[in-house]
Amino acid sequence: MIFMLAIVLHSMGSFCSRQKPYNEADAEENEQAEEIERRIARETKAEQHIHKLLLLGAGESGKSTIFKQIKLLFQTGFDEAELRSYTSVIHANVYQTIKILFDGAKELTQNESDSSKYVVSCENKDVGEKLSDIGSRLDYPYLTKEIANEIKTLWNDAAIQEAYSRGNILQVPDCAQYFMENLERLSETDYVPTKEDVLYARVRTTGVVEIQFSPVGESRKSGEVYRLYDVGGQRNERRKWIHLFEGVRAVIFCAAISEYDQMLFEDETKNRMMETKELFDWVLKQACFEKTSFMLFLNKFDIFEQKVQKVPLNVCEWFKDYQPMASGKQEVEHAYEFVKKKFEELYFQSTKPERVDRVFKIYRTTALDQKLVKKTFKLVDETLRRRNLIEAGLL
Amino acid sequence: MPQYQQPPSWRLEGGGQILDLETAVKDGILGGGGGGGGLGGAAGEKVDLKKMIEELEPVEDVPSVFICPISLEPMVDPVTLCTGQTYERSNILKWLSMGHLTCPTTMQELWDDAVTPNRTLHQLIHAWFSQRYLHFKKRSEDVQGRAAELLETLKKVKGQARVQALKELQKMVVNHSSVQNTVADSGGIALLTSLLGPFTSHAVGSEAIGILVNLSLDSEAMANLMQPAKISLVVDMLNEGTIDTKINCTRLIEMLMGEKDFRSEIVSSLSLLAGLMRLAKDRRHPNGTLAGLSLLKTICSHERVRGLIVSVGAVSQLVELLPNLSHEYLELALRILDDLSTIPEGRVALKDCPQTIPNAVRLLMRVSESCTRYALSILWAVCKLAPDECASLAVEAGLAAKLLLVIQSGCSPELKQRSAELLKLCSLNYTATLFISKCKLTRTIQ
Repeated sequence: MIFMLAIVLHSMGSFCSRQKPYNEADAEENEQAEEIERRIARETKAEQHIHKLLLLGAGESGKSTIFKQIKLLFQTGFDEAELRSYTSVIHANVYQTIKILFDGAKELTQNESDSSKYVVSCENKDVGEKLSDIGSRLDYPYLTKEIANEIKTLWNDAAIQEAYSRGNILQVPDCAQYFMENLERLSETDYVPTKEDVLYARVRTTGVVEIQFSPVGESRKSGEVYRLYDVGGQRNERRKWIHLFEGVRAVIFCAAISEYDQMLFEDETKNRMMETKELFDWVLKQACFEKTSFMLFLNKFDIFEQKVQKVPLNVCEWFKDYQPMASGKQEVEHAYEFVKKKFEELYFQSTKPERVDRVFKIYRTTALDQKLVKKTFKLVDETLRRRNLIEAGLL
Repeated sequence: MPQYQQPPSWRLEGGGQILDLETAVKDGILGGGGGGGGLGGAAGEKVDLKKMIEELEPVEDVPSVFICPISLEPMVDPVTLCTGQTYERSNILKWLSMGHLTCPTTMQELWDDAVTPNRTLHQLIHAWFSQRYLHFKKRSEDVQGRAAELLETLKKVKGQARVQALKELQKMVVNHSSVQNTVADSGGIALLTSLLGPFTSHAVGSEAIGILVNLSLDSEAMANLMQPAKISLVVDMLNEGTIDTKINCTRLIEMLMGEKDFRSEIVSSLSLLAGLMRLAKDRRHPNGTLAGLSLLKTICSHERVRGLIVSVGAVSQLVELLPNLSHEYLELALRILDDLSTIPEGRVALKDCPQTIPNAVRLLMRVSESCTRYALSILWAVCKLAPDECASLAVEAGLAAKLLLVIQSGCSPELKQRSAELLKLCSLNYTATLFISKCKLTRTIQ
């Protein structure tokens, strides 16, 4: 019993000692904790000056191309190692393209009424089968001169060209023509991709990628600091988007306006433009974007320009009330204005009156054109900086 | 930039002598033999003097001895009476011809009705204005020269330099009418218009617009500005700019809407309409409110755009704005709402907005006959659409009493007629006694 009392007294004693100013070990611990708190506070403050930009949009709308362009424009660009890392991707694109075309031609012979024009000529048939086979493997062989020549011959086959003209129903990637035309260069033994090759290279983004950059102003002074996030656009990727939605300064929504006659990769019964429409609507209604600025990039204008003169806009249900007015360049402009108005209409329909004050601007882009992207981004930057000043009450 | 110097304490030059005005007037030295001459010379100078005075108007700090006591204007042909007082010839002759035989300032009776031309004073006045005129002309030329320089600069530079040149040019255009001509004559308008496009920065665009609204634009320039890409830019700036930029944009669009080639698709932009509503609602800037409402009214006159205006929620926003508007703007807002009530979506929006009826009733017989007319028309539209619902709401808000006021007032007959019809419509659901009690004008309703 006395023993127990001793223990109690002892613990009482140590209890009392804790009331006195800290002993050394505790002091160090507290010092560390305070230092960590200070660091967290500093970094949080620093983070507040970093503006978060989010690239959103359906699959193949051009988000990653914009991402690459920003990298080229405002960071150190691609060094040789990075350029080389794209070689396998580019070669893969070549194999995938020719496979899609060959298999597509076969499909068209079975389903189309005038099937004869999709029948590949005898000399090319075997080559076609071989290439289709390569294209279905997980690993592609290096693109040698030999294979490149075979691909070239097949590409020039009338049937394949016919299939290419029906590219909108076959899921032919937009980079097809560019790579086919450059096969010789791509198959050099010491081939190092150019910047342009890299911009055209097509990889389906999965997950999230980010870069931090600061657009340098005219006076060489550094501008705002931006952190740009790129995401995958296909349906299965979109559930990962929600994790990025907090604290976003601006959403750059990419919509490929040339897609009005194409179907989704992940669902060939759905028109891509309709998908984009629904996606944009969904994004606009997100609660966390109440005060976020929206920059709508109507992308792939170069392809749109060519297509709109051959394929009428009304093949897409959303554009069914379109009426052509003129022809040539005027018609392109007229068609573009129509599409723009449709998106504008959608914005106002999907935006509650209280939110109508957020910034909403539409830009015509061709993501592959570096000069244009630079000019466009300059305007985006100016708008965001003005917005900051207005919100700070300085304008 | 050349500094505009104040004219130095001026001197009379001529006859090899340089005299200071202060000294000349004080000592009574008649200076400058050069201006002297016979009547012919004086007459010639008089014409010039008149032209100079006109061009220089308004002139400050004209020496008081040069001013005619009758008209308080500078004298072009000073004549002196026997009392020694000097007046403008035409004024004193008129005075005398009315039968007065006194000197207007001294009130003395005139012993001699002769008027003597005061050549000395005339020369002094002429010399004084000549010097001012020379300075003015030189300054104009300076300014015009500078403007031409700036236009050349604009063709070459970009970025910040371009913005600076535009800023300077804008100030000059606003302050000197001569510059407006210079800009128009040297192809400046086409140049400025060419600066506007899809990639124009806000800084450049806002300055260019600031200059263009101060110039008179011909049809070609207007047609050029009506291109969709340029209009988009103007709409963007209207949404994002400072209050001055916003007002300039509305002015420019109003100018374009006056053109005969104008098509209503140009203003069929939801962003434009939403931006105008935002401008109209901005309490901090009444001139912005005026600009926004005026342009909306002009746009509303195009029937095809009315549906779009309703779709941006303009109806409820305008109705809610009514109590806060000063009288000058009420008529504009009510006119817009009245125009919108002519389309079905407009009527529905008016009915759905809970403030429509109370605000409209309150405005009857409150401000002006036009306002009453518009408010009545709006109430008609709403009550016609849903008589059961709205008529009772209106009556509760005191409509009946107000309508009686209209009928008893000095308003136009057709307004009274409409009021009577509306009164009848509203009374349908009430018994006679109950309705009469609703017609009393109580303090709260007023």
